[in-house]
Amino acid sequence: MICLIVIRNNRLRAAIKAVIPFAAVPAVAAVGSAADGGRRYIAAILAAAVLALLLFAAGYEKRQTGSRRLVIAAVMTALCVAGRFIPFFKPVTALTVITAMYLGGETGFLVGAMSAALSNIYFGQGPWTPFQMLAWGLIGLAAGYLSKYLKKSRAFLLFYGVFSGIAFSFIMDIWTVLWYSGSFNVKLYSAAIISALPHTALYAASNFLFLWFLAKPIGQKLERVRIKYGI
Amino acid sequence: MRGFEDFNPLAAALYFAAVCGITMFCMNPVLLIVSLIGALSLFFIRNGSTHTKVHIFALLMFCAAALVNPIFSHNGVTVLFIMNNNPVTAEAFIYGVCAAGMITASFYWFYSFTQIMTSDKLLYIFGLFSPKIALILSMAIRFVPMFSRQHKRVKDAQRALGLYSDDNIIDSLKGNLRIFSVMVTWALENGIITADSMASRGYGCGRRSRFAAFSLKKRDIAFICVTVLLFLLTLIGTRGITFTCYPTVSLSSAGVFGNIGYISYTALVLLPTFIDIAEAVRWKYLISKI
Repeated sequence: MICLIVIRNNRLRAAIKAVIPFAAVPAVAAVGSAADGGRRYIAAILAAAVLALLLFAAGYEKRQTGSRRLVIAAVMTALCVAGRFIPFFKPVTALTVITAMYLGGETGFLVGAMSAALSNIYFGQGPWTPFQMLAWGLIGLAAGYLSKYLKKSRAFLLFYGVFSGIAFSFIMDIWTVLWYSGSFNVKLYSAAIISALPHTALYAASNFLFLWFLAKPIGQKLERVRIKYGI
Repeated sequence: MRGFEDFNPLAAALYFAAVCGITMFCMNPVLLIVSLIGALSLFFIRNGSTHTKVHIFALLMFCAAALVNPIFSHNGVTVLFIMNNNPVTAEAFIYGVCAAGMITASFYWFYSFTQIMTSDKLLYIFGLFSPKIALILSMAIRFVPMFSRQHKRVKDAQRALGLYSDDNIIDSLKGNLRIFSVMVTWALENGIITADSMASRGYGCGRRSRFAAFSLKKRDIAFICVTVLLFLLTLIGTRGITFTCYPTVSLSSAGVFGNIGYISYTALVLLPTFIDIAEAVRWKYLISKI
């Protein structure tokens, strides 16, 4: 991050930009998990997650973003945070996906990650915060890449919502197991998944419902704002 | 009064990272007990004897986490009893208690972290890494209460128009969806106005600067130095100590270095408690002089 400001040589900058995400993050994960007989696995994946988020922040900081796009991202983040106060049904994933579909994956990642960090001020920060940020961010990023198909087919959009709800729960359970037992244990993992089944079902159902009801109206509003103001 | 929570957010974040890092990643029963004591003392000095529900939750979590491991892990030599043709061992139970202690200690540390790291402090830390993301965050924080105010206004207007009744569920759901739809349109349009206003005042021209409500004072630097020193002493001191549960429970003797490590960690976890107590004493002393 800091060295990117100093180095002016474009080719070198491009090389560093390619090396850090594709070499440094996997290297931290690999070295960290191998070090000390595999007992530091959990520290390694936490470091990798934080590094990935920092990389995104550094990339976003460098990118030229119009002030309109910036404020719209803030608006969607605020809607996500406010939505997390709805009992049982949480529209965070649905709103992140809709944002990503119409404003691109980068904004989707930002909205997902920021809503996790911000809403945890009210819901409790923990060692899970970086993973939550990453999980919601990646759901947004993927939705941005798939936006063409998500816009075209409603069935695919709803499937993506259900799938991301389940995937979110499964990814967070990997973290739960690693944190608890220090190493990955298939039996514990399946137990964690089974005990989290009501939550997983609720995530999937709320993604389905909110995408069903909100995708079209909010999508139209975002599209309208995008065309009218040229974001 | 300038207690622990009035330190520079960066110093506090660093402190929590050091303490929680050792709690979460060093499986050592002595360090875990010390960490739990430190976390509880900070919690009690900040909250007094309130938050009974939190303590009950933590206790339940501790019991559940302690009992999960012996059910799923059958390593160890001391068999306590046989359940469903699987041996339940004392070693697995002890490992479960250690893991539960780690989770409970982390829970209390992060509870204090959430209490101390209010949104303004979080903004300061994000701003150090990326002013742009901090700007988005600060706008989002400001939008949440603004939206809830506007939500109330729209709701009142809808009700006055007679378009919104909550006699039955379908009607009330439809009405809520309509209000939400109005809210989103309004929020986006309002956001564009904000953005244009920013642009016309020169956002994006020249070097980015940011507002920081916190400065790095001498005592912050001293606090950071002490934290880093104690953290490193703990890490280096306790490096040689191994704790294994399987097949038998064994904790190698600490030795001189190990004891130095334990003492450093004790000092580290009790640091905020001491700061708060010292500040309270000084406060009382100053009042009594008036």
